[in-house]
Amino acid sequence: MFVTETHEQVRDMARQFADEVIRPVAIDLDRDERFPGEIFEQMGDLGLFGIGVPEALGGPGFDTLAYALVMEELSRGYASVADQCGLVELISTLLVRHGTPEQQAQWLKPVMSARTKVAYCLTEAEAGSDLSGLRTTADRDGAGWKLNGGKIWIHNAPVADIGFVLARTDRNAGHRGMSIFIVDLNAKGVERGPKEHKMGQRASQVGALNFSDVTLPPEALLGEEGRGFHMMMSVLDKGRVGIGSLAVGIGQAGLEAALDYAQQRKQFNARIADFQGVQWLLADMAKDIEAARLLVQSAAVKIDRGENATKACSMAKCFAGDMAVARTADAVQIFGGSGYIRGFEVERLYRDAKITQIYEGTNQIQRMIIARELVKHGARG
Amino acid sequence: MKILVPVKRVVDFNVKIRVKPDGSGVDLQNVKMSMNPFDEIAVEEALRLKEAGKAEEVVVVSIGPAKAEETLRTALAMGADRAILVETDDAVEPLAVAKILKAVGEAEQPGLILLGKQAIDDDCNQTGQMLAALLGWGQGTFASKVELASDAVTVTREVDGGLQTVSLRLPAVVTTDLRLNEPRYASLPNIMRAKKKPLDRRTPADFGVATAARLRILRTEEPARRMAGVKVGSVAELVDRLRTEAGVL
Ligand SMILES: Cc1cc2nc3c(=O)[nH]c(=O)nc-3n(C[C@H](O)[C@H](O)[C@H](O)COP(=O)(O)OP(=O)(O)OC[C@H]3O[C@@H](n4cnc5c(N)ncnc54)[C@H](O)[C@@H]3O)c2cc1C
Repeated sequence: MFVTETHEQVRDMARQFADEVIRPVAIDLDRDERFPGEIFEQMGDLGLFGIGVPEALGGPGFDTLAYALVMEELSRGYASVADQCGLVELISTLLVRHGTPEQQAQWLKPVMSARTKVAYCLTEAEAGSDLSGLRTTADRDGAGWKLNGGKIWIHNAPVADIGFVLARTDRNAGHRGMSIFIVDLNAKGVERGPKEHKMGQRASQVGALNFSDVTLPPEALLGEEGRGFHMMMSVLDKGRVGIGSLAVGIGQAGLEAALDYAQQRKQFNARIADFQGVQWLLADMAKDIEAARLLVQSAAVKIDRGENATKACSMAKCFAGDMAVARTADAVQIFGGSGYIRGFEVERLYRDAKITQIYEGTNQIQRMIIARELVKHGARG
Repeated sequence: MKILVPVKRVVDFNVKIRVKPDGSGVDLQNVKMSMNPFDEIAVEEALRLKEAGKAEEVVVVSIGPAKAEETLRTALAMGADRAILVETDDAVEPLAVAKILKAVGEAEQPGLILLGKQAIDDDCNQTGQMLAALLGWGQGTFASKVELASDAVTVTREVDGGLQTVSLRLPAVVTTDLRLNEPRYASLPNIMRAKKKPLDRRTPADFGVATAARLRILRTEEPARRMAGVKVGSVAELVDRLRTEAGVL
């Protein structure tokens, strides 16, 4: 509906790449919990990281809608691969909006090429949905800072080269006392926790980071001191479009697998696709996937038009995440016992879907945001 | 040297083809269209020759409806330098296409014309050969290897008995087979750049070619449905039924 011819070209390319390169190995990556660096480097060469980085800064310069289309297709191949694309999009958006020309020159190219691996570090043991519990601190130390504290459940922590870390620079200023630092994760004083073993998206490497007296040079500060919380939040609209698309991609993969299976599997001398009970599951999957896709795309278009997209992005992320969990459960149901067995795609899809209700703001938090926006701007706002 | 690559917009190879109820042809309503896969191979080969320093410019040309611009943009996104669209809504046949390509070739003066051995919609496998004849150039069809020198091209051809290697004086016409190469993905930056690359719009009349049909399609049918198999009780029964029912022994 919103998609132009150029968008279609981008989508077709991502779809073909996902079909040929990603989907065939998803099952192995899931089983082995392996970081697919070689796929990421190939994606870097094809411009699939940092999709919104302007041409003037060496990126492809596409809009949020193109990003949404790419995320859906990559995720249809394997959600962990898409999640890496989402992570790089967040980081590169931060650099484009808030980085100095020197920081952009130093980091954008290596990050977009996937040769430099990044982490986006907010969450702590006491600071999940509520970041006011943030305890990591950066205290003035000569011209720079000293970083102390710890982060948990950070995507890429076991493998990343640099982290974008939210830390308190003023203990008494609440949300206005937080700043973002670009931290060399191989520096002295940085300690990485072990890789966590997760329910789904198992090729994504997630773990903890601990900082003790890590020396940060002045140029480690991203943007304005004290504006870190707002900067991190400002890219989350786009992040939510990304996770919403990722959820749609998981749902779409589930529908394709289930439709195929239902037309092959025979019981009671008929294809199970001939039974109304199975048909209604398929119909509900298709309609909810399409509804989620349209919500996500309209939120993306709102961002691209410069409108206030906060509510639209939260609605899209929340609806798409809930849809993905419910509809991949239907896909498992259509597969019967096979759907519960490792090695069948839908078993993995169901596990991969669950996290879309949790990260990038839980779906309870999304509802909170939607309600807050409703009260602020009215039922039509 | 300049390489000219003709590309055709056809039904995507993944689409399940439906025949129109009146049998006049294939239903193209709401069907995904793409570049003919053999032409994609031709574009890829031209780009590799350019990257190897053997050619300076890759020009793509398509003869077809306005929508064929998408196909040309895909070729530009792969890396071609500029495009020519010869726009017509007529269903074009190999001879008319070859005549238009001859005129384009005379205007552009390429050292090499690289095109698919056939299009997957009508499987004619005629355009390249007709074009070479009309131009009076040498032809190397069904290429699985192309080596370009300054005044000649060596083409390894996939023929029934195996491989045949021919050497052609330039300019020449070469048609591509499946095993020549594996086409690249268009990168996102190149998709963006392709929007700004030059695309020249022409019509068959500009080249003095009439595209009216010379062929008449009598009927289009779907292939017969595969029959369900039968289980036999013993080898003896199998042999008997192969002999009496199938008549193959
Ligand atoms: C695989 C994975 C990858 C991750 N990657 C990253 C990353 O790269 N970077 C990063 O910084 N973080 C990352 N996270 C952390 C993730 O963002 C948090 O887990 C998430 O924000 C929720 O925080 P929490 O786990 O502390 O849950 P809590 O905030 O403790 O929430 C627990 C429950 O309470 C509910 N709840 C909390 N507050 C309210 C409220 N006000 N009203 C109603 N319900 C409420 C929540 O919705 C949830 O159901 C990742 C997590 C996982 C599992």
